[in-house]
Amino acid sequence: MKTLLLGAVTAALVHITPTVVLVKRQDAVNRLLPGADQFAAREVHLSSTDSRRVHDAVGWEPPDGMITFYIGKHQEQVTGALMFMRVDSQHGPLELAVGFDPRGTVRGVEVTKATVETKPWVLEALRAGLTDAYRGLAPDQAPAGAEKVKSHIGAMPGYMAELVDKGVMHAAAAYRLFYGRK
Amino acid sequence: MLYDLRHSDLRVRWLVTLLLATLGTSYLFGAWMVALYAGFSPRKVAETYGPAGEAVMAMQMPPEATVVTERPVSMGEMGEEMHHVDRDLLVQDTHVHMPMYAVIAACLSVIALGLPLSRWKGLAIIALLFAAPWLDFAGMWLTKLASPGFAIVTLAGGWAMALGYTIVAALALWQMWSPRRPHPLTPSPRGGEGERNVLSGESSL
Repeated sequence: MKTLLLGAVTAALVHITPTVVLVKRQDAVNRLLPGADQFAAREVHLSSTDSRRVHDAVGWEPPDGMITFYIGKHQEQVTGALMFMRVDSQHGPLELAVGFDPRGTVRGVEVTKATVETKPWVLEALRAGLTDAYRGLAPDQAPAGAEKVKSHIGAMPGYMAELVDKGVMHAAAAYRLFYGRK
Repeated sequence: MLYDLRHSDLRVRWLVTLLLATLGTSYLFGAWMVALYAGFSPRKVAETYGPAGEAVMAMQMPPEATVVTERPVSMGEMGEEMHHVDRDLLVQDTHVHMPMYAVIAACLSVIALGLPLSRWKGLAIIALLFAAPWLDFAGMWLTKLASPGFAIVTLAGGWAMALGYTIVAALALWQMWSPRRPHPLTPSPRGGEGERNVLSGESSL
């Protein structure tokens, strides 16, 4: 019976806490694709070779070999593109919205979802100005948001900042390699 | 019967009753969550756990060459996230949920061991309780890796979980609280396998 109770407590402790929405997806779209009134989803279903390419570039493969770019347009002119990226950790997933302007540089990054456990860490990193560091980043530049804020925040918020860096790096690699693919 | 739940201390019966009530409530919310995020039809389950994207049923393997499609979407569609469990998330889900399912199956099995059931019925109930999570996750993995047709296995796992809980909860509550349950000193009319007098500790075998 002791073992059973211990097992139940352990199982409860390792359980990932529920997801919380930090920014609604629609609000993220409004902020990262400003002025757009028409939208399209460009879905890129990767071949094994292309999956390996992105893996070799940044050590990540898109979930189920699929990348979706949401493209914003105004009067048939592209105003930018947006990707929703999930970054997994042992504390649960984060979701980011990474927006690109028509030249391909990062327009902005929003952390749209965290978990009950990670929310305070993410908010601390955001308050320290984490996402400011990504604006204007070229797709071939390594994101260094965590490095800029780490000295002002705690260890776990610093870890969250590293995860956000990772998500931005994955999104930038996907954009660089596949956005222009027809 | 390894112990007799019917004539156990009132505190034990109260504990088991509250455990069953709590598990039952969590199962109801579990069913609600499944309805919200995955659905109860094989098609919905296949969409949740199968390959991602529009061509969910058609495209099982990576294509020979990268395929790009573009379609107009509304702001609402971008805001609505289709709940899709990819391989990495399924690894995490399996790691997190399997231990909890095992603990729940073990708790229900311990309750079943205290009920006056034949050895074979006990074995069958324990098998059902543990088969349910195995079917559940085997179905998810097979749907992802082999064919969306295996979504039916996940559904079977979910129903098996509900069935196992219902059987144990109904039998336990009836046996523990029925005013017609036999007195502890009354010998079992059938002298069932392993039946034991809880006061004397003597086995009927």
